[in-house]
Amino acid sequence: MRFLQHPGVARLVTSLATLAGVAVLVFVMLRAIPGDQITANLGTEAAALTPEQLAALEAYYGIDQPLVVQFFTWLGQVFQGNLGFSSRAQLPVWDLIAMTAPVTLELALLSIVIALAVGVPIGMLAASGRDKARDLVGQAIALVGLSIPAFLLATVLLTSSSTAWQFNPNGLGYAAPWVDLGLNLQQMLMPALTLGLGIAAPIIRTTRTAVLDIRGLDFIRTAKAKGVGPQLLQRRHILRNALVPIVTMTGLQFGYLLGGAVVVEQVFSLPGIGRQVLIGIQQKEYAVVQSTVLIIAVAFVLVNLVTDAVYRLVDPRVRAA
Amino acid sequence: MSQIRMRALAGVVGLGLALSACATTTGTGSAGSTGSSAPGTAGPAGANPNATLVVGITTDPNSLNPWKATQFQAVNVLETMYNSLTQFDKDLKVVPSLAESWTTAADGKTVTVKLRQGVTFADGSALDAADVKFSLDKIKDPATAAVAAASLASVTTVTVKDPATVELTLSGPDAALASNLASLNLSILPSEATDATYATAPNGTGPFQFVSRVPNQSVSVKRNDAYWGDKAKAAKLEFRVIPEESAIVSAVQSGNVHIASLKDPLVAKTASASNVTIVKTPQLNYHVLQLNATKGALTDVNVRLAIQCGIDRKQVLDTAALGEGEVTGPNTSPAYKSDPNARPCPTRDVAKAKDYLAKSGKTNVVVKTIVSQGEYATSVNEAQNVQAQLKDVGISLELEVMESGAYVKKWVAADFEAAIALNGGRPDPDGAYSRYFISTGNLNKVAGYSSPALDQLFAQGKATTDYTARKEIYKKVDAELENKAVWVWLFTGYGYTATAKGVSGFEPNPTGSFRSLAATGVS
Amino acid sequence: MSQPLDLPSAEASEPPLPPRRWWRGLLRTPSGIAGAVVMVVLLALSVTSWLGLTPYDPVAQNAAIRLQAPSGTHLFGTDLFGRDIFSRSVAGLANSVRVAVLAVAAAAFVGVLAGLLGGYFRGVTDAVSGGIANILFAFPPLLLALTLASVLQRTWVTVALAIAVVYVPIFYRVTRGPVLSLREREFVKAAVSTGQRPIETALRHVLPNVSGLVVVQIALSLSWAVLTEAALSFLGLGTPPPAPSLGSMIFEAKNTAVLAPWTLYAPGVVVVLLVAALNLVGDALRDVLDPREEGR
Repeated sequence: MRFLQHPGVARLVTSLATLAGVAVLVFVMLRAIPGDQITANLGTEAAALTPEQLAALEAYYGIDQPLVVQFFTWLGQVFQGNLGFSSRAQLPVWDLIAMTAPVTLELALLSIVIALAVGVPIGMLAASGRDKARDLVGQAIALVGLSIPAFLLATVLLTSSSTAWQFNPNGLGYAAPWVDLGLNLQQMLMPALTLGLGIAAPIIRTTRTAVLDIRGLDFIRTAKAKGVGPQLLQRRHILRNALVPIVTMTGLQFGYLLGGAVVVEQVFSLPGIGRQVLIGIQQKEYAVVQSTVLIIAVAFVLVNLVTDAVYRLVDPRVRAA
Repeated sequence: MSQIRMRALAGVVGLGLALSACATTTGTGSAGSTGSSAPGTAGPAGANPNATLVVGITTDPNSLNPWKATQFQAVNVLETMYNSLTQFDKDLKVVPSLAESWTTAADGKTVTVKLRQGVTFADGSALDAADVKFSLDKIKDPATAAVAAASLASVTTVTVKDPATVELTLSGPDAALASNLASLNLSILPSEATDATYATAPNGTGPFQFVSRVPNQSVSVKRNDAYWGDKAKAAKLEFRVIPEESAIVSAVQSGNVHIASLKDPLVAKTASASNVTIVKTPQLNYHVLQLNATKGALTDVNVRLAIQCGIDRKQVLDTAALGEGEVTGPNTSPAYKSDPNARPCPTRDVAKAKDYLAKSGKTNVVVKTIVSQGEYATSVNEAQNVQAQLKDVGISLELEVMESGAYVKKWVAADFEAAIALNGGRPDPDGAYSRYFISTGNLNKVAGYSSPALDQLFAQGKATTDYTARKEIYKKVDAELENKAVWVWLFTGYGYTATAKGVSGFEPNPTGSFRSLAATGVS
Repeated sequence: MSQPLDLPSAEASEPPLPPRRWWRGLLRTPSGIAGAVVMVVLLALSVTSWLGLTPYDPVAQNAAIRLQAPSGTHLFGTDLFGRDIFSRSVAGLANSVRVAVLAVAAAAFVGVLAGLLGGYFRGVTDAVSGGIANILFAFPPLLLALTLASVLQRTWVTVALAIAVVYVPIFYRVTRGPVLSLREREFVKAAVSTGQRPIETALRHVLPNVSGLVVVQIALSLSWAVLTEAALSFLGLGTPPPAPSLGSMIFEAKNTAVLAPWTLYAPGVVVVLLVAALNLVGDALRDVLDPREEGR
């Protein structure tokens, strides 16, 4: 059993255990929410159902089985690659995820691009003039980014752009990038801005700290003494070394993006995976929520594994622990 | 996010395919009538026959099965594709649809239905009596869990007489049958339909045919050129999902969405102030404070009367819904409209309320009231206002605000003393209330009240088709309901239709139906 | 959490010993002072709400004075139901404060205890707490909160507890890492050798030395808790009406923002101020208590 001692394997095992825990937790939580798919579909008309009709519906939705049976039936199907069926959308959950995940991924990617494009330069600017005006402004921007809730920014953007500038691409049906790239990018603009500004803040801070840390290091002083110009210094030496903590911080924001995307997707009518889970919870479509949350958890665990590995490789303090 | 869903639109029926002349007789009884099948007349000025009309909806239809759809977005979408035996015209009178004419025997126990000829389903197969029998039998079958099964409670057998005639055998006269048959939930499907097919590929006789659906994004339908009635004005309809009503308004403003139904009076008010065309239509749905006369202090009619007298309904309407609506009595359909002042306290009378309370001998009455949040826009504000008003009388409403799922669970189980509710109204008073207030009604437990007098009145109302007689009978029902303060009916609201520039021909309907989309064009 | 977070590592790390009177450090920088001042002002306003001393009743409706612009009588104007927005904002602020405080207090209590016991005693306790923390971490935070909020009958307490569950893992990690290394330190070993009961050692010697990090985490978590509660209310799953919440006020303002911008901006500004102040205070505390982050 020596191979279990290997840190990589140990992490894998813990990750699997974590995922199992997620599966149980989401299953239990969903069943604990009052109401079921029948009441979600029919509302108060459910009161008009006769006992025979009710039994027929429960059998149809698969909620007449004992809980344990339901749990293992679902898990068994998942291991066979069948994530369940959405009777509402009349599609397998797999298909639903295949439709919605790319939307959220694109949104997350664009948000990260914006965050980096905004955050890194500001962070470097702030670091370059420590305790001067530039620093203060940079920190102020970071503070504002942290303090404005995503849903507030989203609402303000949507209301002002549609009334003041008549710009409302999100009122058109969602266009996938391979269908109409131009419209797609327009539709992603405000949502990505909203989320991007939110994560720009920690990126500004990380950049600033990283740059300040590196600047004080010996090899930079040596390069300066050798007469390397400031521009080259910034780019080649400082930035490249600062990139690692910046990238790891970015990876850590992935979970936030998945969660924060729900509100933004809702306000801007983007058919993403966050909204899918929200609708699934409201409609009490257990299979949809369980399987989607599981998939999100898998993605999240994977990203964390990778980021953690990079973090460990790079930060000697952590490695020594 | 809050999905403003209208509950209980099951059995709420569609509007007649308006526009050009459809000869109308109230099909209660003898001679039938013919619907016009003249080819489409010139449409609304400037309407582009090749246009796609975009309809904004706040959420994806949760079912494409017309027998199971109650959510109003699903109903609106399916109404464009399916027909029932009967339908309503714009005055909510029952007129022929797939049934060209029908005759009721003298004893009221047999109804012979003659089907319209030359009708085809979207897949091209012809409509015949076998399809009607199949549909009605399936609806009655408990395994189908059809929501309108109770509407066919009086039908014992459906017999095919010949391909164009169906005979319904009833257990007793049912004056509301023709009206109940007009519901989307009693649509006629082809006999080859199976659970799988009609949930994924709707196949109906309506003015539009199913094209495609992207879950949570859109549903598209196209004009049915073989339709038996007036051809649709627009070539295609796209029902586009935009979760927020305010975002829909923005889309209408920019012309991305052509037409949408709004439920929230606050959104509608803001929209009309921003120069979006809004048409408002009184609705059949009614806002009510349901009282459960089997529980607690409410078993005493004096307590209930105290509650009735302690509430100024206009004030509730003004504060919660910005005055958008009218105070109402039990029956909301135009033909049987109740007199909202025919009750012990037509206006708020705190002194009288206190008297009733004193008569009951109870003090410090506490009534646990359930309120839903997110189901519809005004529930919480109504509850708050009613609570504030009843405080003056000495009755304290303990509000339990809960999320939709929890509320429905309690409502369905009749696990409440009082409930702030928005219930579906129907054109026929028997359809609207018999299931609540007859002692054997399937919603009687929820209604919390029954009496031999009501049982008798409803039986009489069902047995005769004479309009004048029925009007008198249901007036007596109103009297009983209001004099015993069974529930406190508050108000009916408006339905709002937002239309963009260039849209014409849409006629909104008190039932919230969107059947008029067939007559709507956009330039 | 509806804002990104800096995830601490769960591994052992050397905690600094907190300096005495660390709260003085708060007032050393201008940003710290600004943050502290704003916090005090906002707290004072919250207290007026808890004592029922707001200028108007936050839930009293008055159809006659709908949507009035800010004026002498109504500082922030009125909303669609004629309710005074200033009083509602203050009440919403008070609500956000109490939900955030309860949520973070509960999360800190459970998380720190779990981290302390797990890190100190290791073995099964550690494995179990670590496992639960990992599971909770794997959930997208907002989804976890909103699922939990849907389960329970909604009151401000249950909303706070739903949020607390999301933050427990963070306190666990913040505590566990330092505890792991602390237990190897001289003074701890000395205490053990005197025969002191392990639980006493853990509480009396180890815990105070992680308090600095915990305090920083509390300050930061408060701002996230405020944002999460607001996001939940925005989605219709936070504090139930009619009690005003900054998030639900913003949600309602979506419809009226065009006609009456003050309905959106008043609660918006309040929430931004609160979170910004909490962030400033948290940063200032971190500068004092966590000099590992030197160079900021």
